[in-house]
Amino acid sequence: MKTFNTMLKTELKLSLRGMDMLIFAICMPIVVLVILGIIYGDKPAYDGASYTFLEQSFGAIVSIAISAGGVMGLPLVISDYRGKKILKRLKVTPAQPVIILLVQITIYGLYALTSLVLLYVIASVFYGFRMQGDFLHFLLGWFLVLVSMFSIGVMVGGLAKNIKVAGILASLLYFPMLIFSGATLPYEVMPSAMQKAADLLPLTQGIKLLKATSLGLPVENVLPSIIVMGAIAGVCSFVSLRFFKWE
Amino acid sequence: MENVIEVRQLSKSYGDLTAVKNLSLSVKAGSVFGLLGANGAGKSTTVECILGTKKPDTGSISILDSSPIHDRKTLFEKVGVQFQEAHYQEYIQVGELCEVTSSLYKNPADYMDLLTQFGIADKIKSPVKELSGGQKQRLFIVLALIPNPQVVVLDELTTGLDARARRDVWQILRKLKDSGLTILLTSHFMDEVEVLCDTICILRKGETVFYGTVSEAIEKSPYEKLEDAYLWYSDEEDMTHEDL
Repeated sequence: MKTFNTMLKTELKLSLRGMDMLIFAICMPIVVLVILGIIYGDKPAYDGASYTFLEQSFGAIVSIAISAGGVMGLPLVISDYRGKKILKRLKVTPAQPVIILLVQITIYGLYALTSLVLLYVIASVFYGFRMQGDFLHFLLGWFLVLVSMFSIGVMVGGLAKNIKVAGILASLLYFPMLIFSGATLPYEVMPSAMQKAADLLPLTQGIKLLKATSLGLPVENVLPSIIVMGAIAGVCSFVSLRFFKWE
Repeated sequence: MENVIEVRQLSKSYGDLTAVKNLSLSVKAGSVFGLLGANGAGKSTTVECILGTKKPDTGSISILDSSPIHDRKTLFEKVGVQFQEAHYQEYIQVGELCEVTSSLYKNPADYMDLLTQFGIADKIKSPVKELSGGQKQRLFIVLALIPNPQVVVLDELTTGLDARARRDVWQILRKLKDSGLTILLTSHFMDEVEVLCDTICILRKGETVFYGTVSEAIEKSPYEKLEDAYLWYSDEEDMTHEDL
């Protein structure tokens, strides 16, 4: 525990010094929220809707920090630490090398959580946001999306040959999901052909789940999304555990 | 316990390439053992097999009567390691690296004491990457000493240092040796080996071509300087001529 805490404190400082996650996981979602707030204000999602456009988008915006940390931050830091042989160095100490992975997962989890809290506060204070659904259901959904996205990240970081490959894979995962899964550009305004393509992205399914739970829509509607999220988490975790490259 | 590190009949190959062949060595408590050879002679592979980060094809290895693979957790409380290249995070500071390293061990030494002893206590807030080569190497010795080890393994400690910085590092190592620490190091600088090592093992293409003391190495060669003797033992071209 002493090792974990000391490492967490130091790695968190290093991550903040790096700035990337402050920008991509903390500032960017707020910017998207504010832009949508300025454009749509407290307009209903569609004529006669019981919730506002912003409330509909909340579930999507909270996924930005999750995917920034999961499919961008984690793969890069894991392959970087492997390349710098920090993982290997830990093998010749009494500590388990896996501890540094847990520390990184915790850090990106903290970014996602901080982003969630900030978005909730800003949306509530400035844009009249109300969580329509059950808060616990929403948090469970949020956690499932987090686990699923992070498992993709650990798998990519654990298997990529070097940081260059990890960087390319992370970009290929991150930017399409950021733009086409509805995290930034609202899914509802996409043409239906584009929506169909977007449905293939894992994050789109995650966002459907987050939207349904935050809007209090029946969970049965998003059962396929729950299954997809669970399956991704299961498969990626299994592959990571089985094939993770420590050096 | 007489021998701190005991290696018997170690062999390791990567595909068709034999990296180390039938290597045996023993490092006595309180001594400095030098593993020498040209780049690619098998020094690093040997060190990694000894430390358990590579699995030998055949042979047995024990450190302090323990297996580096099966007793990893307890053994590495007593073994300090410095790998060939430095391993640290991009933005990490000296003090942070020491703090994290300390947290890995049950009974770590006070790293402030060590930093003071090695003359880099004022660098505690500096990013590691901004240290000079000599300061970095001193820091890495500090890191290897944080566990309060009985034995340290140092892979090419002085490569890339200027003459002054290398002398400083030697002085430090001699002091450590005088205090009873057992040291296994790899090197290809003979001046350093002459000053520091009690026993040396010279590798050529993974095979042991000399094993003994520095003076024996000179005696058994046609030369009078260790540098010449070393080249005579380790030079691949010369040996090919002899084979003919």
